[in-house]
Amino acid sequence: MKHRSFVLFLAAIAAVMLSGAVAKPAAADALADIKTRGVLNVGVKADVLDFGFLNPKTNQYEGYEIDIARELAKRLLGDPNKVKFTTVTPKTRSALLDSGELDLVIATFTITDQRKLVLDFSPPYFTDGIALLVQKSSGIKGLADLNNKTIGVAKGADTATRLTNKAADMGNVLLNFSAFETYGEILAALQAGRVQAFSTDGAILKYYEQQDPSTVILPDRYSNEDYGVANKKGNDSLRDWVTAQINDLRNSGALKRWQQKWGIYTENQSIK
Amino acid sequence: MTHGAWQALLADWRVFAIGLEHTLLAAALALVFATLLGVIFGLLGVAPLSSARTLNRVYVEGIRNTPLLLQAFFLYYGLPRVHIVLPVLAVGVVSLSIYTGAFIAEVVRAGIQSVPRGQLEAAYSQGFDFVRAMRYIVLPQALRVIIPPYTNQCVNLVKNTQILSLIAGTDLVYQADTWSSETLLYGVAYITVAVLYLAITLPLANLSRWLERRVGGPVEARADA
Repeated sequence: MKHRSFVLFLAAIAAVMLSGAVAKPAAADALADIKTRGVLNVGVKADVLDFGFLNPKTNQYEGYEIDIARELAKRLLGDPNKVKFTTVTPKTRSALLDSGELDLVIATFTITDQRKLVLDFSPPYFTDGIALLVQKSSGIKGLADLNNKTIGVAKGADTATRLTNKAADMGNVLLNFSAFETYGEILAALQAGRVQAFSTDGAILKYYEQQDPSTVILPDRYSNEDYGVANKKGNDSLRDWVTAQINDLRNSGALKRWQQKWGIYTENQSIK
Repeated sequence: MTHGAWQALLADWRVFAIGLEHTLLAAALALVFATLLGVIFGLLGVAPLSSARTLNRVYVEGIRNTPLLLQAFFLYYGLPRVHIVLPVLAVGVVSLSIYTGAFIAEVVRAGIQSVPRGQLEAAYSQGFDFVRAMRYIVLPQALRVIIPPYTNQCVNLVKNTQILSLIAGTDLVYQADTWSSETLLYGVAYITVAVLYLAITLPLANLSRWLERRVGGPVEARADA
């Protein structure tokens, strides 16, 4: 009896695995599906000021990435309001694409070679760099000062990999990482002294630096983070269309104009 | 979920081994301390002294009616404000012990109270004091009632070790999270974690069944033995 139920359990797991492998073929034409549906499902951040921010006063999403999503909805469906926003975190964003719940993720999602194996990305619409937020009183000036110390990062982000590579280049710098579910928890860990630095992309850190005046973002940037619009592999018509739109938005100067509107435009960033 | 995903996971088996090690360590330590707390406070709950029973109520109701995660966050984020910085594994062990201990205390108290009061009175009349009456007369009979719900609490404790993943505790769930955030192969990672949890909890359940048989089933069956 007991063994039988265990076998049944294993069979259930096997079934789930097989269904993952064979079921849910990518839509024949994802673009046509969205038009039929009449609404574009987009995953965005709710806690990154000026990019994807759910304004608690208005309960509306706002920011640079929201502008891009609305523009895509306007071009595809003829109405900038035909877009349904879903809040994602670094941890949930790829799963929600896989499950088909979202058509696109525009959520400070850095294009990496490893991610390109699983998802498709548009050309970059923004380039940011990884930065460090530290307590002013700590006297930490850069990555070298964090030897043998712990850096708080977000689960699902590529920050730890990037910083580890950077530290390897510097030699003799050993970094430890603690990963948390939300940026707020990383800030709490920094305040509690659990971590000595809070690291993610500079644009994201800006909000938390404002939240806690005893912290400061260090000037150095440690990698180029190219943000791309992500979609599930296999939805080629959607990918090609989004790619064309992002290229057009860049060439027409719209991206630059929106970046200036949100105060995130920089001519050249100091990549170290 | 493809063949390649499982190969990638096998290549990085050490990530999951580290997680398993920390989950096992936290669970084992917390099991010991939770059982100790549970027995002590369970006995306080049936003690003749009313202040002891009050202490039992305050502990049990205060702890079992607040979320475990909140208690762990308090130890992890809160205590450093007063300059008490427990290592993350200790935060896990302490919070799991205190939390599960409250449930075990109730299991122990209920088990003892399931033994007819006449047994304790008979023991008193034979000159036993409270501690000896418990040790020789009441607890051996209560054990049969205690073991099944106690096992439930142990299994819950093992699964609750996943709160470590929310405070960067490098347990199984945390390691799976970290690994799959790099590879995006969260499907195979979480299935592996589920199987590893089963590998811990199923033997625990079997051990409990074996213990139940050892301690004895119904009283009639024991009379024959």
